[in-house]
Amino acid sequence: MKVDLLQMVESGGCSSKIPPQVLEEILLTMPLPHDPNILVDIDTHDDAGVYKVNEDLALVFTTDFFPPVCSDPYEFGQIAAANSISDVYAMGGKPVIGLNIMMYPSAKLPMEAYSDILRGGADKAAEAGLRIIGGHTIDDFPPKYGLAVIGYVHPERIIANSGARAGDVLILTKPLGMGIILAGQRMKMASEADVVEAKRLMRLLNRAGADIMNEFGVRGATDVTGYGLAGHALKMARASNVSIEIDLGSVPLIGDTYRLADDGCIPGACFRNLVFVENDSLLRINLNYNLKMIAMDAQTSGGLLMCVKPGLEGQVIEKLHEAGLDRAAVIGKVTEKQEKYLYLYS
Amino acid sequence: MHIVDTCGLKCPAPLIATKRALKDKGTGEVFQVIADSPTSFGNISRFLKDNNISYSWEESEGKWIITVTRGGSVAVTGNTEEYCTTGVPHMNRGGFVIVFTSDKMGEGDEDLGHILVGNFIRAIKDLDILPSKMVFYNKGVALGRSDSDFAGDLRVLEQMAVELLFCATCVAHYSLQDKINTGRMSNMFEIAQIMASASNVIKP
Repeated sequence: MKVDLLQMVESGGCSSKIPPQVLEEILLTMPLPHDPNILVDIDTHDDAGVYKVNEDLALVFTTDFFPPVCSDPYEFGQIAAANSISDVYAMGGKPVIGLNIMMYPSAKLPMEAYSDILRGGADKAAEAGLRIIGGHTIDDFPPKYGLAVIGYVHPERIIANSGARAGDVLILTKPLGMGIILAGQRMKMASEADVVEAKRLMRLLNRAGADIMNEFGVRGATDVTGYGLAGHALKMARASNVSIEIDLGSVPLIGDTYRLADDGCIPGACFRNLVFVENDSLLRINLNYNLKMIAMDAQTSGGLLMCVKPGLEGQVIEKLHEAGLDRAAVIGKVTEKQEKYLYLYS
Repeated sequence: MHIVDTCGLKCPAPLIATKRALKDKGTGEVFQVIADSPTSFGNISRFLKDNNISYSWEESEGKWIITVTRGGSVAVTGNTEEYCTTGVPHMNRGGFVIVFTSDKMGEGDEDLGHILVGNFIRAIKDLDILPSKMVFYNKGVALGRSDSDFAGDLRVLEQMAVELLFCATCVAHYSLQDKINTGRMSNMFEIAQIMASASNVIKP
């Protein structure tokens, strides 16, 4: 039996996430543990927590899981694993060990698909040098998969979303449009080529981008996932107490993403993210509406948004292109804190 | 009139259908979009608002009927009549507006006034008929602070499609720009228009 995982997802992508501002409010009420060895915690809304073991070693600890974003179980496993590991890369770490987290409807789906998801995850983990040493499954519908991952990082070489500095140049390593292309696929509006490209990008590890960040001493970065480019840029600006300016006209897009947005194929997550960012952002008059909504598009296993010291951006882009990230581009800059945290123009 | 029925369609299909109808219409042509989920209605109305496309809407028995004028003026109007419906909890909205002019409710002890206004906001979402809009001005804008006890309740109201409007001049006056991340900023002309066209204005 050929399993189509997309048939399992009922929500059409609209309602599978908790609105970000609701989550932020709840997290504000949670007590934070105090320990001098906690180097990064939820306080700055970063991609992962970081805990110092000794002067030379800190652990980057993160987890992520979600319902299917594609039909093929093996490919879903690969994408979910690449996405889970990405938080370690975004913080400059090297993935070391991980645990599988799976929810699977054993009465509704054959166990072959379960095994295929795990195999996809295991193969992607092996590619990243990550050892999966256990996991946990419960019976649930629809299926969900991801990993909890621990990585190593030197305590003085942590890359955090609080590390953006005025003057830095912003580089994005993968094109945007994953959420819009996947919605377009459900609506039968997206081309096969674009869907293939979106899935290739989602499977692609952010390892090369992380290596290049380390090589060039980057200290501020985040990966672009569920809050979209604008949401993650806003979180980084807030955590670093700077402002970020993005020229949406220079942001790389997957295939026909713009045309799909122009046809109204704008997933609900874009509107949720818009509500999250708009009060802290200035959307310039005449900002192109479609580009604005693309900046809100939730990405799965999206690229790294890195803050590069001015003057180095040419070399960084060259290295990224050489490493196969051929759409990597300069998309904006970091400034001293202005009235708003985020400025979008086109 | 041309009707685009999006009932039963999942996001983003309702928006795609709306956009398609807009592209097919000539300037000044009017059509209606019917949506059956608050999410679809919220996304379509936000799209129309952001693109300065004039529309009006009414809600009845869990369905939203949005009347769109292609290439019309910028004016956006909400429904100003009472729609008494039954059976769909929390989705019945009236034409009345609640205005908050202070961060307290009533005269007397200040602490008690704070507690009362919080209780009032919490109670709104359980009313049989919800307000169409809640307007905050002068010290009332402080009620929108994201660190208040009832920030979550305001968020819930917003998700129920109650529009929250904050006087931008007042927010700036009390330096609350960074503290309010709910609703949207408004100006005195819009606030005056809203109060003038409301079926009732309630001031707690």
